[in-house]
Amino acid sequence: MSDTHLHIDGITKRFGDVTALDNIDLRVERGAFVCLLGPSGCGKTTLLRIIAGFEKASQGRMMLDGTDITNLAPHKRGFGMVFQSLALFPHMSVAQNIAYGLKLRKASKAEQRDRVEELLTLIELPQIADRPVSALSGGQRQRVAIARALAIRPQLFLLDEPLSALDAKLRDSMQIELRRLQQKFGVTTVLVTHDQTEAMMLADELVVLNDGHIQQAAPPSTVYQSPANPFVADFIGAANLMPATASAAGTLIVLGQDTGLPVPHHPGSTLRAAVRAENIQLHSVNGSGQGMAQVEFSRNLGPVTEWLVSAQGQEIRVRGVTGFGAAPQVGDQVNLALDAGRISVFTT
Amino acid sequence: MSNSTLTRKQALAFAAPAFIAILPFFVACLYILRFSLSGEQGRIEGFSIDAYRNLMTPFFGRSVWLTLRLAFFATVIALMMAVPLAFLLTTLKRPVARRTLTVIILLPMILNLLVQAYGWILLLGPSGALNTVLRNLGIIDRPLFLLFNETGVLLGLIQTSLPLAVFPIVSAVRAISQEHLEAASSLGASNWRIFRDVTLPLLRPALLGAASICFAFNASAFAVPLLLGGRRVQMMGVAIRDMISPLFNWSGAAAAGMILIVMTLFLMIFSAWLVRLTTEKTKG
Repeated sequence: MSDTHLHIDGITKRFGDVTALDNIDLRVERGAFVCLLGPSGCGKTTLLRIIAGFEKASQGRMMLDGTDITNLAPHKRGFGMVFQSLALFPHMSVAQNIAYGLKLRKASKAEQRDRVEELLTLIELPQIADRPVSALSGGQRQRVAIARALAIRPQLFLLDEPLSALDAKLRDSMQIELRRLQQKFGVTTVLVTHDQTEAMMLADELVVLNDGHIQQAAPPSTVYQSPANPFVADFIGAANLMPATASAAGTLIVLGQDTGLPVPHHPGSTLRAAVRAENIQLHSVNGSGQGMAQVEFSRNLGPVTEWLVSAQGQEIRVRGVTGFGAAPQVGDQVNLALDAGRISVFTT
Repeated sequence: MSNSTLTRKQALAFAAPAFIAILPFFVACLYILRFSLSGEQGRIEGFSIDAYRNLMTPFFGRSVWLTLRLAFFATVIALMMAVPLAFLLTTLKRPVARRTLTVIILLPMILNLLVQAYGWILLLGPSGALNTVLRNLGIIDRPLFLLFNETGVLLGLIQTSLPLAVFPIVSAVRAISQEHLEAASSLGASNWRIFRDVTLPLLRPALLGAASICFAFNASAFAVPLLLGGRRVQMMGVAIRDMISPLFNWSGAAAAGMILIVMTLFLMIFSAWLVRLTTEKTKG
């Protein structure tokens, strides 16, 4: 059963002549973890700021549990937010930072102290309550910022690229931490990121934005396996986009090769096929025979090996498990085998 | 610091002219200190603390008290006026508007003090614009005396010290990140609470710095109390001049000058200590 918590209803945002968001419709389920993902300038941060109330939409409305909150002031929304810069108050201790929202809600001193203690235990930093913010490491600040936002038992938990400043290893552990906390609190969460791995890992629902439009909103596995359009295919997991066509028998032809994949298009129509690097196998051509493609570049990344091959003037990325046998080398002639079940076909 | 553009030796070499420029001032201070301890009123001869002892009169006490009071109120009022001006200046997006406001704020520093004093007289004098308007409106019968008394001096001090207060605060306001304010807002703070709980504490070091500059400037004011207060408002600057000019009491003037310098220094050290105390709380 669907239980819509936040309903973004036809939100448009214009900055002068620039349309940053164009008629965005989105329903966020209660307790869901939604990631807004897209390249910089796609409007994802603007959408988050409109949800938080820091920007006013030019058009459209926003409903929270059926109540119109379009014009509600940000401080009356009760949404916890984690900022890109974290924005911890430098003149307050860790405990004062976490308790600030509770203090504004006129919680008793005892209540504030208990809540701070509870949150510090949850973020596994029980001894830092009285430390000034400047004495904390990057990862600790991150956790305190999350604790501060969750302390007010927010209706919505909003995060604006909160992990982008951390190094890769710390980011990885914070992603796990974040997901764990979100599930523990069961809070409806919207996170903005440009990092697709992060989005894939955290999201229940992945919203891919580009040019102010939602390109696709679906669970990460769906977005990965059946991208809605060439942009999504390219942005999520950098698929190879290749010109294709339909054969007289109604099957897909890519790089002059019949894949056997049935397509519902007229024979000869111009199509595009997206195939991910790991769904292509290379087969070396023995002797001096001519293959479909030539290896231009190869690199061994340990468990996997990547190749760039050129076929019909197109560069194609191939990735495979590093085997024990002889792998195709630069300059080798190869044939490509596309995994027909993993090809996405687009008409545009 | 190794990553700064100048090494310490280079910086020291380039700062030499500044030291040379400041040097006469230090020498003058030492000279005044020596004169204040002179046994004679008119020249430096022998040692005595008579000059200080002779200042322990109700008259000089009133002068000190007046100086502290006027400097304090002028500083507080200038700061209260400077904060909104600083915010206004940082919110102006158009460069023309920003530059215009900057020039307006700086005008008192650019304009000759005599011109300014004349402006005050035209505006606030017994037959000046304000009194004329009030009288024509029937609000007052006799002109308000706003000049050649403490009110006039206070207004003058506020005006001359305002630019000194605005610019340190402007850079502090600029340094406050929008995200801090938004974070407070998301936690439930109204605009007023954000100002009280986040903006003001973050501005505190700049406010104290601006206050100490303004106070030192106001306490040592000489031209403003003389032009707008006449002889009647005996701030220390005026009192010192009177000791020299009609009375030829050089050692007394030197002693009074030393007291003024020490008082101002003490207050500046006190405010520096306050700044350190408050920023230490933020840093640990």
